[in-house]
Order: sequence, then C-alpha cells, then structure tokens
Amino acid sequence: MTTTVVLIRDTDSGGADRTRDVHDLFTQKVRDAGLQNEVQVVRAADLGIYNKGMVAKILPQGIVYAGIADADVDDIVTTTLAQKMPVSRLVYCGANEQVRIVMRNCGIVNPECIEDYIARKGYQGIKRALYDLTPEKAIEELKTSGLRGRGGAGYPTWLKWSLARNAFGDRKFVICNGDEGDPGAYMDRSVLEGDPHSVIEGMMIAAYCIGATKGFLYIRAEYPLAIKRVQKALDDAYGTGLLGKDILGTSFCLDLEVRLGAGAFVCGEETALIASVEGKRGTPRPRPPYPSDVGLFGKPTVINNVETFANVSYILLNGAKTFASIGTDKSKGTKVFALTGKIRNSGLVEIPMGTPLRVIIEDIGGGVASGKKILAVQTGGPSGGVIPEQHFDTPVSYEHLLELGSFMGSGGMIVMDEDDCLVDIAKFYLGFCVDESCGKCAPCRIGGFQMLKVLEKITDGKGMPEDLDTLKRIAQAMRKASLCALGQGAPNPIISTMKYFAEEYRQHIVDRKCRAGKCTRLMRFEILDTSCKRCKLCVVNCPVHCIAGDREKGYRIDQEKCIKCGRCFEVCKFEAVARS
Amino acid sequence: MEKITKDRLDEVLKNPPPENGRYIRVGMSSCGVAAGAAEVFALLRSEVEKRKLAVPVVPCGCSGGCHSEPLVEVCVDGLPSVTYGKVNAEIAMRIIEEHVRDKRLVQDYIVDAPMKRAVAL
Repeated sequence: MTTTVVLIRDTDSGGADRTRDVHDLFTQKVRDAGLQNEVQVVRAADLGIYNKGMVAKILPQGIVYAGIADADVDDIVTTTLAQKMPVSRLVYCGANEQVRIVMRNCGIVNPECIEDYIARKGYQGIKRALYDLTPEKAIEELKTSGLRGRGGAGYPTWLKWSLARNAFGDRKFVICNGDEGDPGAYMDRSVLEGDPHSVIEGMMIAAYCIGATKGFLYIRAEYPLAIKRVQKALDDAYGTGLLGKDILGTSFCLDLEVRLGAGAFVCGEETALIASVEGKRGTPRPRPPYPSDVGLFGKPTVINNVETFANVSYILLNGAKTFASIGTDKSKGTKVFALTGKIRNSGLVEIPMGTPLRVIIEDIGGGVASGKKILAVQTGGPSGGVIPEQHFDTPVSYEHLLELGSFMGSGGMIVMDEDDCLVDIAKFYLGFCVDESCGKCAPCRIGGFQMLKVLEKITDGKGMPEDLDTLKRIAQAMRKASLCALGQGAPNPIISTMKYFAEEYRQHIVDRKCRAGKCTRLMRFEILDTSCKRCKLCVVNCPVHCIAGDREKGYRIDQEKCIKCGRCFEVCKFEAVARS
Repeated sequence: MEKITKDRLDEVLKNPPPENGRYIRVGMSSCGVAAGAAEVFALLRSEVEKRKLAVPVVPCGCSGGCHSEPLVEVCVDGLPSVTYGKVNAEIAMRIIEEHVRDKRLVQDYIVDAPMKRAVAL
C-alpha cells in the first residue's frame, strides 16, 4: 500500500514562515488519529503556489488545499486522511496550472533512450500518418488543429506544408530550425536536450506530408549537449529502422542530418538559414519566393521551429480536436516560455494560449525575486517589445501581443523591476541587433547604427527632444524597407518603450536623470565635505586619479575627468560620497 | 539494435508498458548540469550500486524548474513519487538513506508545481 504524503508549505511571503509550526501540528494530529504508519507529513521547499496562505498537497491523490488555518488541520486529518474524502471548502483551484504538450516527456524520458520514448507512445504519430492517413489527410488534420508556427510569426503550419506539397520539385526538403538566438530564450534547447525524438518524429511527419526524402536539423553550435543528444537520437532511429529506407515497412524513406549553426543570430531567419545549410554565407534574401517554393538548393522546403515539430507529433498521436480544445480562437495549443530576469522562479513554463501574462509572471513565476515593484516584461527577443505592468491582464496569443506592440517571438520572457532603466534596455536590444545585422541591406545596417547613436546620445545626457522624432523616423524606414525580420523588428523595443515609458525618455533628455541609476553618464558623484573623514580611500581607489585635495582642505572630484565608475561610492566607509 | 516494426508500435498502444514503478531521475539538461547534476548523478549511481538497491538511477531532460536544479525525482515502492530541488551531495545522501532505505521523505527540499501532462497514458 502506498503511504499518503502531505506536503506543507507557507506560501505567504510577508511575515514569519509558519511551515514548521503547522508541520508539527499536523504531525501531532496524525499521531492522535493513529495514522502515523500510513501518513507522512513533509515540509516542502516550494509548491508552485504563492500568496495563498498555508498550502497542503496530498499525494498520491494530488489534492491541494490552500489558506489552511490551524483549526482546519483537524478536518483535513479526519476527513481526507482517515476517510479519503476531500474537504471542499479548502480545495484550491487556481488558474496557474501548466499544460505540457511540447514538454510532455521532458523530465520523464531518458533523452538518450529510444525505448523510453516509444513507451510514452512515441512514433505512433508517424505510424498513424503512414498507415491510416494520406499526406493530404494529415495536412487536413493539422489544419483542424489550428497549429501555427512557434518560431514567432505564427504562420499556419498546415498552409506552409500544403504549399510545399503542391510546389513542383524533383526533390523536397524539411528543415528544423534550432538556431535559437534570442537573449534569454532556451525553450528549443530544452526540448532538443530533453526529448529529441519528438522533434524527429515531427520532422518525419512533415517529410511524409510534403514528399521530402531528406532533412536537416540546424542547431546552433553553442548547444553541444543538444547536438550530442540529437545525434544519439538520430543514430538510434537509424539503428531501429525508423529512419533510412522503407520506414515501418512502407515505401517511405527519409534521411536526417544535423547541421551546426556557427553563431550568427541572423541564421535563425529562414532564408539565411537555408543559405547557411547550403554552405554559403548566412544572409537573408528577399521573399517571395518563399522557401515552400524555392528553398534549400532551389527546391521546395518546409522549415519549422523545434517547438512546432514537437507539437506535430503530439497532434498526430492524439488527434487535432484534442489539440484544438486548448487555447484561444485563433491561437491554439500551448506555448513554452523561458521566464528569466528579475523573477523568483526562472525556468520554462508551458501554458495554454490565452493565459494572462499576470498568471505567468505572478502565479507561476512567483513574482519578482527582490520584492520590488514589477515594471514590465519583454517578450519576443530583440524584435519584440516591452509590455508594461498595466497590460499584464492581456491574454497571451499571437494577436494580443501584436496589439501591444510586442510579439510572441520564440518565447523569451524577461521580467524587469524598478532597478531597470527602460532606455538602457532598449539600447541593449538595439545594440544586439546592430552587432548581429548581416549588413546586406542598408536600412538595417545604417538605420540600426544611427538609432544606436541617438540612444547613446540620450543615455549620455546629451539628448534633445527632437531626437525622439529622429528615432521614430528611422524606425519607420527600417520597418518598411529592411530585407528580413531582424531589421524590421529591430526598432520594436525602442518604439514600445517610447510608447509606454515616455516619461523615462523625458527624464533622460530634459532632467538629465536616470531613475534606475543604470545610465552612468547621467550620474554625478560628489564628496560631502561634512561627512568626509579624509581617509583618502577614494583617492587611492579612483582609477583615473580625478580626486584631488589634501587633509586640510578636503577632497574634490574633478567632474570633467570623472568616468562615473562609482568606485569612490563603493569604497567610502562613511557614506561621504553622494551619488545623484 | 532491434528493429522497431509496426507490430511493435501497435503492441505498445494495446498493452501500454506499466509506468516504471521504481526510479531515481536526475535532470541532466544544460541547466541541471550547470547546477551540479552530474556530480549528484554519479554519487547516486555509486551509492545505489554500493548498497545494491533495486532502484535504477536514470538521467532525464529539464522539466522546466530550472531555478531549482539539480532536480531529483524519486519513486520507490510504497511512496508516491516526489521531486527534490537544489540537490547537492549531502541531500543526495539523505535521499538514499532516508527516502530510499528508510522510506521516510526528506524534509524541506521537495518542490512541486501545478501541472497537467497532456499525453494520456
């Protein structure tokens, strides 16, 4: 018989942690009821529930009680533990439940063991496609599911496949885009490392649908573990006859191969990626023609994101209707986000589409780690935007995020608190895009550089009110005229921060102040003569020797020479250095 | 390697293999390894071997709780499966001695989150 386990955790962040007291009380009551041989009461470190008072989770039943008062303990022991009946008034039903589709096997299967995947109904999707569905029917199934590309733009997957299927070509290709480059995003790495076979199966289904016989997994070279596990998965698939010739006793043949991305962000763009797989320099080209017509080596090609393929194998296994029952009208299924930044629980969350941002950040992520006020969240990577706190009740879907001036992107979600300067953040993302611009088209190459110059001017305290108009004008040009999404999206962080945090820009330009103290050029250090004990520590530590004076007259900072490194502020033991 | 045929896959659907009753799973994706999962994994393996415990120690991918890595999920006879977070060598030893040997869960390190796994098994 399985022992019942009661996990206890005080989830209120303010005040003393009462986990231990309630645990002792619970243990006592269990002993009083004579259940100590069947029940174990355990203090947990984290139950994934926050600010809901005392929480208890009963295993293996999985019942969760929240807001438990000491008086309720008796009830739980006599009703739930002794009679196996729930105490309905205490049952917790929060909206913060994750739904795992893409990550259904992550953390469960051994990624290097094909048998584990098969035991979890792996390769049933491709079997069903091969034996029960024609390629047209399988594409139809995807259409019913409403799956849209998870790389960011949200193009309907079935349409992409259908176009590639109908395109004329003696050979066709399927490519998996695993060139994940957004700062703070690592969902694809996790799926490739945790469940590589689900991606391979998705690619097999795609190849069957469009009639491809060769495919590539383009994975960035910075993911050595992912590459190793995918290669092992491919070897196993070949070894067991799931890849190669006459797959599962049919005439379907497919060869898959890993290609390494050599560290250029732009290679995540599909046409640049295709050029890179061909062995050429990774630069994008104008579309149309789209890869579904003219792709790899000029042949029709389907190129999808890792997460999309992992969804495909699920859909073919469980049916389109099951998948379509999750999510919103236009955005079906789930989305994996990499929650990072100033958040308590950084990690991966998979939530149904339509979940409000607030649920993701506060209920699942546990809020800001520092306890400071949350300011905004950045989604969509360098091409995305910043969403301020007042819009956190917006449901997550392709359309809603676009409306807010951000976009879904591959799924990076960076949380910012009061200590972050939004102008500085915008400068960081733009700097990233300028570094990663391939230089092929002028709007991106020159526009990005010029915008960065203007932003640097503002953060250096030399900004003018008309600079904001210049930024808007260049942004407009880049959006309209850039060749690929990198240049088109690069102004987004600036435009969205200008829209939602105009006050911050004004402070930088007019008041010459940075609220968060991130823009060092806007700061000023001064020695307060009254508090100064003349210890000379600042003088010794100043890297540019800009502090002069003597023990009689006191010390002064030469503002012209000062590089605002803040060293004097840090070393002073008497708080005699003022920072403003 | 043994070939996987259609019949074999049909068989899995018809008679799903029982959920593995006994295991110790260690999250061994990049996030776990960075937090020290490799050492924990090696330690658990050697202890299980040394004590001749009938519990396989297996690697798995990241379950999403990167903030609590290294994560170790333990499922042994007579106890529901639970996951320990931020496991180090000391806690790993306690897991072996208290949880696996004495069937008594280790206090203060269990992590959990409301979650629904979509695949129907």
